[in-house]
Formats: sequence, C-alpha cells, structure tokens
Amino acid sequence: MSIDLTIAIIITMVGASTPLLLAALGELVVEKSGVLNLGVEGMMLTGAVVGFAVTYTTGNPWLGILAAGFAGACVSMIFAFLTLSLFANQVATGLALTIFGAGFSALFGQAFTGKPIKLFKSIFPDYLTDHPILRVFFDHSPLVYFSLFMVFAVSYFLYKTRAGLVLRAVGENDHSAHSIGYSVIKVRYGAVGFGGMMAGIGGACFPLLLTPQWVEGLTGGRGWIALALVVFSAWKPTRLLAGAYLFGLIATMEVYAKAAGGGFRIIPSELWASLPYLATILVLVLISLRHKMSSSAPACLGKPFIPSN
Amino acid sequence: MQIRFEKKLEPSRKMLFATPILAVILTMILGAIVFSILGYDGLGAVREIFLTPLTNSLKWQDLAVKAAPLIIIGVGLSIGYRANVWNIGAEGQYIAGGLAATGMALLTHNMSGWYLLPLMGIAGMLGGMAWVFLPALLRTKLKVNEILTSLMLTYVAIQLLNYLIFGPWKSPTSFGQPQTVLFNDWQILPYIIKGTIVQAGAPIAVLIAIMAWLIMSKSVFGFQVRTVGSAPNAARYGGFSENKTIWLVLLISGGLAGLAGMLEVAGPFNRMVPQFPAGYGFTAIIVAFLGRLHPIGVLIAGVVLAITFVGGEVAQTTIGLPNAAVGLFQAMMLFLLLAGDVLVRYNIKIIRARRA
Repeated sequence: MSIDLTIAIIITMVGASTPLLLAALGELVVEKSGVLNLGVEGMMLTGAVVGFAVTYTTGNPWLGILAAGFAGACVSMIFAFLTLSLFANQVATGLALTIFGAGFSALFGQAFTGKPIKLFKSIFPDYLTDHPILRVFFDHSPLVYFSLFMVFAVSYFLYKTRAGLVLRAVGENDHSAHSIGYSVIKVRYGAVGFGGMMAGIGGACFPLLLTPQWVEGLTGGRGWIALALVVFSAWKPTRLLAGAYLFGLIATMEVYAKAAGGGFRIIPSELWASLPYLATILVLVLISLRHKMSSSAPACLGKPFIPSN
Repeated sequence: MQIRFEKKLEPSRKMLFATPILAVILTMILGAIVFSILGYDGLGAVREIFLTPLTNSLKWQDLAVKAAPLIIIGVGLSIGYRANVWNIGAEGQYIAGGLAATGMALLTHNMSGWYLLPLMGIAGMLGGMAWVFLPALLRTKLKVNEILTSLMLTYVAIQLLNYLIFGPWKSPTSFGQPQTVLFNDWQILPYIIKGTIVQAGAPIAVLIAIMAWLIMSKSVFGFQVRTVGSAPNAARYGGFSENKTIWLVLLISGGLAGLAGMLEVAGPFNRMVPQFPAGYGFTAIIVAFLGRLHPIGVLIAGVVLAITFVGGEVAQTTIGLPNAAVGLFQAMMLFLLLAGDVLVRYNIKIIRARRA
C-alpha cells in the first residue's frame, strides 16, 4: 500500500468516526449520571436536518453546528422531562425519541432534498492541507479537532473536577447523593442536555463532513452503534476514541474495497455494508466474554430516581 | 406551590384504560396546533389523518390491510415486553420472514396445491425466528443486551434483501427491475370478501390476538411471562426459568414478525420488491405500548395506527401534507402515552406553600 493511499484511508476513517465519537461521548456522560437514553439516533437525525437547513440557508457551517447542537439539546429535553420529572420508562421513551427524530427530520428535510451545501473542510492554509505527508494532521474538518478536544474535555470533567465527581456519584448511588444535598434530577437534566447537544452535533457531521446533501434517514443506525460503543469503552472516554476509530475504519473499508477491486470484488457490496452492524454485535460479544459488563456500568443506569421526601 | 408525586399502592386500572384514549385525543389537539405553527393546515391534517379513514367506507379495506401486520407483530412484541425482553428488531425479523417465504415460493414455483401457502407460512415464521436466534442466544448465554443486537440485525436484513433481489433472485423478465418473479396463483393469499382488497391476513391477525389473549390470561405460560417481567426474584423462587422465558418470548415475537412478513409478501405484494421494508416492525412498537401490552389492546391500537397510515395517504393527496408527518403524529402519541403513565402509578398532589 502506498503512503498516499494510507494517508487517504486515515483521513476518510477519521471523518467517518467523528459523528460516532461525538454522539457516543455525549451518551457516555448521560449514562455516567445514571440515565440510559436510547434516543441517540433520533437526536442525531434532528441535529443533522437542522444543521443542514441552517448551513444551507445561511451558508455558514459554524452556525449550522451551533443550531444542530441546540436542536439536539432541545429534543433531549422531551426525554428528560418524561423520564426524570414524570418517571416514564427510559427504554420506551428513548425509542419514542428515535421515532420522533426520524419523523421530524423526514418532514423537515423534504424541502431540502436535492439541494447541495459545501462540505465543512479544513480551515488550515493550502500548503498544509495539500502537503503529501502533513495533510494527515491538517486536512480535517474543524469538527474533527472539536471531537478530539471533547474526548479530553469530557475525561477531564469526569475525573478531575468536582462537578464531574458529583455527576458520577449521582450515577453510582443516587440516594446517597441526594441525602448529602445534591439535586439528582438537576444533574441528570444537565447530563441529558449535554448528550443531546453532542448527538445533535454528531448528526450534523453527516451532511457537513461526509455527504453534502440531505438524505432521509442518513444516519443509518449510527446512533445505535454509538450506544454500543459506550458499552465497548467500559464508560471510559479514551477507550471510546479507540472504539470509534475502529468503527470508522470498518466503514471506510467498504469504500476502498470497492475501489480496489480484484479479490475484494468477490465479496458482495451488501456484505461490506453489513459489516459495521455485524462488527457491533461481535464487539458486544467479546466484551461480555472479557469481563462482566455490570462491573463497569454505572450502578444506577436506567433506574428511575424518585426522591423519598 | 409544589407538586408532589406519591406512589399508588396499586396501579390504577381506570387510568390504565383511560390514558391511551387520552393520548390519542391529546395527539389530535396538539397535532393541530403544532402543524398550524409549522405552516400547514393543522385542523385539516387532523381531520384527514384521524377521521376520514373512519367516515369514508371506501377506506375501511385499506385499514384492514394495514392493521393486519401491525397487530401480528405488535402482539408478539407485547408478550416480550411483558417479560422485560426488549426486541426492537421486529423490522428485521419481518424482512427475514418475508425473504424465507419468498425463498419457499421460488422453490415451489412449478408446483400447485393448497399446501403451498402453509409451507410459505412456516418458512416465514422460521425465517423470523432465525433472525431473533442470535439475539436470544447472546442474551441468555452471555447477557448481551438484546436491544442493540436485534436492531443491528435489522440493517443486515435490509442488506440481505438487496443482495437477493438485485442478484440471485432477480426476475429474468423484469426488465432490470430489482424484484422477484410473481408468485403463482397457489402462492397468493385468498381474498376474504370478493371485490375488495382484504386478504386472509386480516382475519389471521384477529385470530392471533384472541389466541394470545387466551394464552396470556389463562395459561401457566402467561403467568410465567408476567412474573419474570414484573418480579424476577419471585419467578426464580417459583421455579420459572428466566432464560427459558427469554427464549420463548423472543422466538414468539420473531416468529410472528416473520409470519407478518410472509402475509405481506404473499398478500399485497405477490413478489419480493425493494419497498418491502415499510417500517411496520418499528410502528408495531408504538402499537404494543398504546395497546398496553395486552393482546386485545394491541388489536385496537393496531387499527388506530392503521388509521394514521391510511389517513396520512389521504392527507397527502387532499391537502398536500407530506407523508412524513404521520411519523411525527405517531411519535407524539407515544410521548403523550408515556407521559400519561404517571397518572397510572402516582397520585399527584399540589401543595400550596403555607405561611409560617
């Protein structure tokens, strides 16, 4: 394999991983606070359509990303209100959020079908992004650097700040956290909102980073893969990074295998397209073989908190 | 002022029945408001989506056709959800069932006889069960979450469908269209009433709902499912195997979704086409919840969701409402139902702040 091809594959892989990484980082924080939000796919679709619409109308991708994050946070509040304030079943409400996001994005996106936007490309000068070697560091969208920064930021927040400690305490033992005076519900509202924002921005990566147009259901189940990645990472942000890039590589293989031809042609393209989903199942199996999932999962994950007084 | 929730000693049966009806009514009100804000004819949308399919007798057959798969899949899912087993990949099992039935139809294409349809039905059920086999195995052996595995396999089923109808199963006479040959006369569901489009799927759906009701309320199995779902420790103490229950409810829900796939492919479609995955497997999740996970409730909820589908098509032609609006109405219904659940399990007390 030539160095050019290797670098091209790395750049494609990083791009394909970014939406997964962003959405999964958000969900990781949500789950650390003890809440299981299965609506990631719906929030990503919402962010994707809003991000596209705003970028298309204003021509400014930065505004598009802001709007996508805001929209994701807004729809996540429906989930937060139902599960945290009305104690609704988290699994069912998360599913409802995904169905909602699919419906909303399909309806809202119809007006934008077939309309092109520009990809949100690297903001570095040409001599860096065109350089045969250095482009591996510089030829990425600002969204990529943002996602990497967020891995660090989430990690720092969870393990080095007081607020992060409180959030983890709420997820590990809600009643104790409540009895020493922390508001379990408020912390969880905040975590769900952050998760919604990250999923919204992750969704916006599809039109801004991968294919610059609106296609109904363009996330193709990536929100669910993000949920699996959180399990894979054992709720650790740095392992999430490795997991997301691994999946990005699998998704990239489909593109390059088709282009490479030769021996790869024997494998039908539908099998390549199935690989990320099959790999997700395989990863879930490997993890449960390795160690008991329950040991690393937040103790209160998915359980409703009803204040005793 | 402060709002406090106090857990009821027992869930309110009155509210259990009232909240789904309330959710549908509130969806209509809220829907009219939201769609007016979005710049559509909100009242018209609600009228066309929820009322026209009921008042226009020409639409009743459409209702029966659309409700059948929703009810069959919904009944299966509701049994699983009762046991706290979350199969959300019914869409994949529906596709796998349709594909297995198609395979059987292609295999027996030169044959004739009444037994072809039952054979296809069995193939469909086995196809659906095969697609849920891996999630069931992984859940019971390795405690891998069935939510993610069953959903992942849905995407794989779609790819398998594409592979087959673009490749080995493509009809040689379809002028390049990705579809199989038409099934022969013995492989197509009979019409129940002459001159309508209602095929055997609708009465089968009703029959399955009634059978499921009898089994769930009268048999030990029904009791076992409910106990494993609501009181796993008591179930273990009572000698009910949790793993066996998981296997059974997953195979039932997969088998029924597969059967629904067979009835669709041998019914309205008469061949396998790319449009086969119509989202019934996902909508059936709403059906199961709206029907309160009770087979007869699912029967009614299946008709309600069918109304929104048929009404969505009406609204598209009469007032130009995009078809995607239906999905939004359906999601709204589920949100409102879940919000209403609080009334089933809690007493809401409003406490006015008193001056000291």
